[in-house]
Amino acid sequence: MTPEEREQLIDSLIDGEIDEADFLRIEAELSVDPEVRALYYNRLKLDLLLQREASGSVDDSSSAVAQAVAPSAAIPPVASVNILQRRLTGIFAVLAATVLGFVAWSVWNPDSSRLGSPAGLAGKLEPTAAGFAILQGQSDAVWEGDPLATGSLVPSGPLRLRSGVAQIELFSGVRMVIEGDAQFVVESAMLVRLDRGRARAQVPEAARGFRVQTRHGDLIDLGTEFAIDAGDEAARVEVLAGEVELHRQGTARQRVLEGDAWQLSDAGVSERSDSESLQVIGPDAFERQLSSQQIDQRRQWQQRVASMRADDRLIAWYQTQQTSADGRQLPNLAEPDLHQAGAAAIVACQPASDRWGQAGGALDLSRTGSRIRVDVPGEFGGLTMLCWVKIHSLDRLYNSLFLTDGHELNEPHWQIMNDGRLFFSVKKFDESNGKRRRPDKYNFYSPPFWDPSFSGQWIMLATTYDAQARRVSHYLNGAEIGSEAVPADYLVPQVTIGPASIGNWSEPMYRTDPQFVVRNLNGSLDEFVLYSSALSGSEIAELYRLGNPAR
Amino acid sequence: MQPELPNPPSDAEFVGLLTQSQLSLLLYVRSLLPGEADAGDVAQQANAKIWEKRADFALGTNFLAWSFAIARFEVLNYRKRQARDSRLTFSEDLEQTMASELQQIDDDLLSRQEALRKCLEGLKPEARTLLMDRYETTESLADFARRIGRSAGGLKVSLHRIRATLADCIERRLATGAAR
Repeated sequence: MTPEEREQLIDSLIDGEIDEADFLRIEAELSVDPEVRALYYNRLKLDLLLQREASGSVDDSSSAVAQAVAPSAAIPPVASVNILQRRLTGIFAVLAATVLGFVAWSVWNPDSSRLGSPAGLAGKLEPTAAGFAILQGQSDAVWEGDPLATGSLVPSGPLRLRSGVAQIELFSGVRMVIEGDAQFVVESAMLVRLDRGRARAQVPEAARGFRVQTRHGDLIDLGTEFAIDAGDEAARVEVLAGEVELHRQGTARQRVLEGDAWQLSDAGVSERSDSESLQVIGPDAFERQLSSQQIDQRRQWQQRVASMRADDRLIAWYQTQQTSADGRQLPNLAEPDLHQAGAAAIVACQPASDRWGQAGGALDLSRTGSRIRVDVPGEFGGLTMLCWVKIHSLDRLYNSLFLTDGHELNEPHWQIMNDGRLFFSVKKFDESNGKRRRPDKYNFYSPPFWDPSFSGQWIMLATTYDAQARRVSHYLNGAEIGSEAVPADYLVPQVTIGPASIGNWSEPMYRTDPQFVVRNLNGSLDEFVLYSSALSGSEIAELYRLGNPAR
Repeated sequence: MQPELPNPPSDAEFVGLLTQSQLSLLLYVRSLLPGEADAGDVAQQANAKIWEKRADFALGTNFLAWSFAIARFEVLNYRKRQARDSRLTFSEDLEQTMASELQQIDDDLLSRQEALRKCLEGLKPEARTLLMDRYETTESLADFARRIGRSAGGLKVSLHRIRATLADCIERRLATGAAR
């Protein structure tokens, strides 16, 4: 067998185009000659690399790493990031972004039983989330089927944006604005299929090779920014900065430079006769637009709050964006009446962005010891506690929302269990009463509401207590998620609060033991409202509708 | 697991091992399943199995040998599932030889890919387009040849020549360190 012949047989073998006789010949050579095997290995490598090259660096075999690694939530994020960065050299670098996305996500989120697992491994491991991108923002967006929440993972499979504008951020770092009417699929962090519609993408260096697939051919980004309009006849392309390659099967790749207007069509890749701009808004401009819209919405909300301050059921209304001059206190915005709570004291919290995206408008409670201290005098026949929170994760056994100091008779505790259930209780019996065998209070749990898609997103939580109607109800984002009658022997007709903490639990004030349990909420708070009676479901829904920035 | 086993690795260590051995694993699975479009899936399956069994692995023992054994089992499973007649498979001896050789392979995939990119640029545009088109599709060679209006035999020879050129070019570049 000549060396030439040998190579040809190996190529046929790898192509899957070999007949039995030739297979036996090359097998014989492989069996006896280490050099032939070395040649075989080299050709396998070439084949592997060519496949990657042709598919824009993201293929099944490389995502194998991501998938095997993805569910390994037990790995501390920092350790895994370092290891991955060190080990995933070169060819896996593009992939690393995706892996990190997955790992960070899965570490971050303690519960995702609802979501699918990438590699079917999740049964025994910590949960994961699935997706390649986040819906970063949207304006008047109308989606076919269920609406998509801002900040949520972009679902896999075909999506149709009927109208409006949406911006997605892929885990590769690509930011893409899509204008309705558009039909698209996020195939991976490096590949978006755009069947119809206009889009503009900003591609960072780390995501070079990002590809947009249209029915007329592919656009491969070589860095920075481009716009594309996929229509029935052609896909029009405009390079705003940097350069791209256009590729239609069977033709050579065409480089298109900054300022050039080209198109992909059945006739091939050609320069456009019309040089008019595609007029798609860019990610930066879109973000500015969203931001100014949110500032408007925030102003409207504050006007609303001003009109609701006079409600005589109000005990306290704290807005974290409205601190005292020294930044250490939150004034009570409720109009003064009998059951007036004073200003709240900010302890150890850090400024954070609020739910309208404004820097410093919220308080981050995740630093150990953080809390907001209040003192609420009076007795109440009912209670509504309502807050806007952004939770990173429910990593404490008890994740505090609003708890009175210690736990004295007739006092409420409101928190979230680590399994995602809202928890509310009012202490009915003193331990020292002698009846040790029965619990001192009844716990009202909601069903678990938390899943990983809530992590880092603003949500509105509320719980109402109605002594007269003997009922406790829990609400998530304005919708009731659970309601339970108060058992007769656990009914507390008049609830008292006194010294209490928002976002943490304080043991009685004058104790001197420095040890404390960690219960502070791992997240941020934007607003906290307290009423002296149970608001109705429709009132809570209305407060959510008015106060929700992601409209 | 048996309590007297030496330490299993931490998950972080294990991820490191698994990540490091990806190329070898993939090559091994492909070497056993030449021309199978599903080889990538089988390797993926093997990854999943390896991860699942990570508690069985003892630090300090040969990770590649251990993971290859699992991968080989997945390959056998795959062949069984396929159960097509006339499946061409290498002798067990040859498979074992390849397993031990591929465990020794220490290759910098990054520089190889860099070299390949440079070498692709050196090709004639028609050749490059032909090659990339071939790798972008999952069609059989015959279907692909028909679609682009060429004879299967002629196409096979062209592709072989292009690959041979690339392979030479890559080896030359790697030998002189020109890829960096």
